[in-house]
Amino acid sequence: MRLSQLIKAVFVFALVSANLQAQTLIKNVALVSDSGDYPAVQDVLIKDGKIHAIGEALQESDSYTIIDGSGKRLSTGFFNANTDLGIREVGAVETSVDSSSANARITASLRVADAINPSSTLLPYNRSLGLTHALVTPSAKAGLFAGTAAVIRLNTTGTVIDEAAAVVVELGSKGKLVAGGSRAAAFAQLREAFEDARDYRANRGSYNSGNRRDYPLSRQDLQALASVISGQMPLLVFVDRAIDIERVLDFAKRQDIRLILAGVEEGWRVAEKIADAKVPVIVDPINNLPSSYDTLGSRLDNASLLHEAGVTLLFTGMSWHNTHNAYLVRQSAGNAVANGLPYQVAIAAMTTNPAKVFGLSDSLALKVGAKANLVLWGGDPLEPSTRVEAVWMAGEQQSLVTRSTRLRDRYLSIIKAAQ
Amino acid sequence: MLTRFSIVSFLLVLFSACATSPIADSEDSSADELGDADAFASTYVVPDSAPTVIRNARVLVGNGESYTTADIVFSDGKITAVGESLVAPDGAIEIAAEGKWVTPGIIDVHSHMGVYPNPAIASHSDGNEAVAPNTAEVWSEHSVWPQDPNFEKAIEGGVTTAQILPGSANLFGGRGVVLKIVPSITMRGMKFPNAPHSLKMACGENPKRVYGSKGGPGTRMGNMAGYRKAWIDAQQYANDWAEYETKKAKDASAKAPKRDLRLETLAGVLNGEILIHNHCYRADEMANMIELSKEFDYKISTFHHAVEAYKVAPLLVENEICSAVWADWWGFKQEAFDMVRSNAALLEYAGACAIIHSDDETQIQRLPQEAAKVMAAAAEIDLDYPPELAIKWLTANPAKAIGLADQIGTLEVGKNADVVVWSANPFSVYSKAELVWIDGALRSDRSNPQLPPTSDFNLGIIEPEEDRP
Repeated sequence: MRLSQLIKAVFVFALVSANLQAQTLIKNVALVSDSGDYPAVQDVLIKDGKIHAIGEALQESDSYTIIDGSGKRLSTGFFNANTDLGIREVGAVETSVDSSSANARITASLRVADAINPSSTLLPYNRSLGLTHALVTPSAKAGLFAGTAAVIRLNTTGTVIDEAAAVVVELGSKGKLVAGGSRAAAFAQLREAFEDARDYRANRGSYNSGNRRDYPLSRQDLQALASVISGQMPLLVFVDRAIDIERVLDFAKRQDIRLILAGVEEGWRVAEKIADAKVPVIVDPINNLPSSYDTLGSRLDNASLLHEAGVTLLFTGMSWHNTHNAYLVRQSAGNAVANGLPYQVAIAAMTTNPAKVFGLSDSLALKVGAKANLVLWGGDPLEPSTRVEAVWMAGEQQSLVTRSTRLRDRYLSIIKAAQ
Repeated sequence: MLTRFSIVSFLLVLFSACATSPIADSEDSSADELGDADAFASTYVVPDSAPTVIRNARVLVGNGESYTTADIVFSDGKITAVGESLVAPDGAIEIAAEGKWVTPGIIDVHSHMGVYPNPAIASHSDGNEAVAPNTAEVWSEHSVWPQDPNFEKAIEGGVTTAQILPGSANLFGGRGVVLKIVPSITMRGMKFPNAPHSLKMACGENPKRVYGSKGGPGTRMGNMAGYRKAWIDAQQYANDWAEYETKKAKDASAKAPKRDLRLETLAGVLNGEILIHNHCYRADEMANMIELSKEFDYKISTFHHAVEAYKVAPLLVENEICSAVWADWWGFKQEAFDMVRSNAALLEYAGACAIIHSDDETQIQRLPQEAAKVMAAAAEIDLDYPPELAIKWLTANPAKAIGLADQIGTLEVGKNADVVVWSANPFSVYSKAELVWIDGALRSDRSNPQLPPTSDFNLGIIEPEEDRP
């Protein structure tokens, strides 16, 4: 079959399966999940957008698309907990990047959801490589508060699942710069912002009628922080240095707010404290270099040590490729396993843990009744040499064609013709 | 215009003549020859080491061949035998390697270790003399900080040789240097003895972005004009020295032209002694650079990054130019938008020289994982590139690109004993480089925390009595 025919066939197949409400039976496939709840090799039936059944020798039907999963593995789609997906097309092309704002009036209230481009080429690309969900985080520029993060699924429709997933703060060396040169100034600014937000929240009426003092933050920013104070949104803080992590934990406790930590390269030094506070952390387990004075303690077994202390892990990565190659979060996860993290914990850090933290519990679970966001792998998904064979989003099989595979196929045929 | 032949033959004579003739009586006694081949020469010495035999390993030779089970013997820094059931020399250290894999030491042709070290602070940022579009006079080796904590992480990932290049802001960024990943207080103690020098050139967005508002070049056509002007100057410089040599043969008092470090580097390229490593993303620009090299009679060794190399694979084959690529970096700038994950695989399929490079402090620690991504992308288009072939992208091909194929890059008799024992298939994410030898001396051993010894920077930096992990 010629490649163009093959591409057409894939398209047709995708359309047909969508029309059939995607009833698919995957036979004899090894399940990859965060638990050992199911025996290793099972049949999985996808029906009505959900995982309809998991079991041995499930009943076949003429209406099913049957896929032989022998020698292959099935997991849910993976989640990358720190990306710029949909808000960064080409890094150096400013007009295609919406991750930060120089407008000091729009900090906490910068909702990346308003800027997400569902037609970004990064979405089908990363989806075709096994990533189905992500947290999209803004970056700090004009203020300590970067903005409001969103949870997305890598689909062209219904992309944004949660437009108010967390208010993001960058502390550590970045926050220090934004706050004017000292991390103490950053903490002072953080305290002031929350004091003001509380004052605003308690006195909205008089503020709106002009009878309250001015606040450094704009009304919209105060409103975003009010949602953190009320518990509607967690505060997501990027911080690496051990002592800074402790101070943030203390701050969140005093403020009685929900906290998520991100970065956390020296987390292993204060792992017990993070665990005691029951604060989940977003880490990239591949980091191990002292790239700044905030990350002198960076080490490859950070994730493993945090897990041993009882900390809930969410993964991002790999390194600075966490947007264009956001799917490589699984390479970071693999390296965590190579450095002592139990395999199922690594899977949880890309599936059920982020689902729990961001309220997607039925989307990334490999269990009956959950949404069928699934990936069929040629082998171990944590191995970089493993290829993706099929992806389902809510039960519908996705085309694996991307702009990149179009380029590849065009030039492969030219190279073949030249030989 | 001098032809390539006349420049090369003339300069060869010049270099060899100057090595033996006494310095002429002149006002500037240092300026008697076009360049000083021995300037900043390596002080690295192959250490004494016991003969070693690695037993019963799966061996990837590096040139495409492999043994399911074989022994490797090395002594006095060289590989002396590879095969089954070998007899070890007297007193040889025996390494039992059943179930383990052995490869040549990995070679990274594009690293900034030492010149952009960690911590990545302004005080350490010595990788790019971004003050003028042509800084061919700078040598990256003069920026190398041997205490960069990245070096020890690289050898723990099986890397034994790295080419340290200057950055890509300039049309001509300066000379690169090849280092052995051995602990040393000085750069010269790591410098690969007698390795050819290289010159970093850069196409495309970077030079025009950096210099567009500083007098140019501000466009790609400006880039091309900048290269051509520089090569014309270099030809003139080579001519001036040629004339001087002719005069000197008759008249010992003939005055040598003043040395110009910038032109000296460029003339070194024209005479074939300095290898061109050309940062270039776009296919059309690679084609222009090839044409440029023909206009001025020099050879391009390798296109670096080469995101679009797959589009001109036949042209690269025809011109015998290697492509050093990432597995999958893309989208950080416009010229990196047309990435395909099978770039290296398509090059291999077309018969071109493919190399996986890192240009990165994280990926240099696990280059086989990058090659593994290419293997996966190859499988998607039904190309089967097994480990014995993929290892070439990290060993034999980079050795060729830096002009050291006669010494490193394969596990063949007579080659330097740069050898890695892996706990498992090196292309697996779970595999670790357990033992790493350079020139037959054990330099990294996962069971011995003293090998490699940690950087000065790491001592007591977090806790006074501990080393940074």
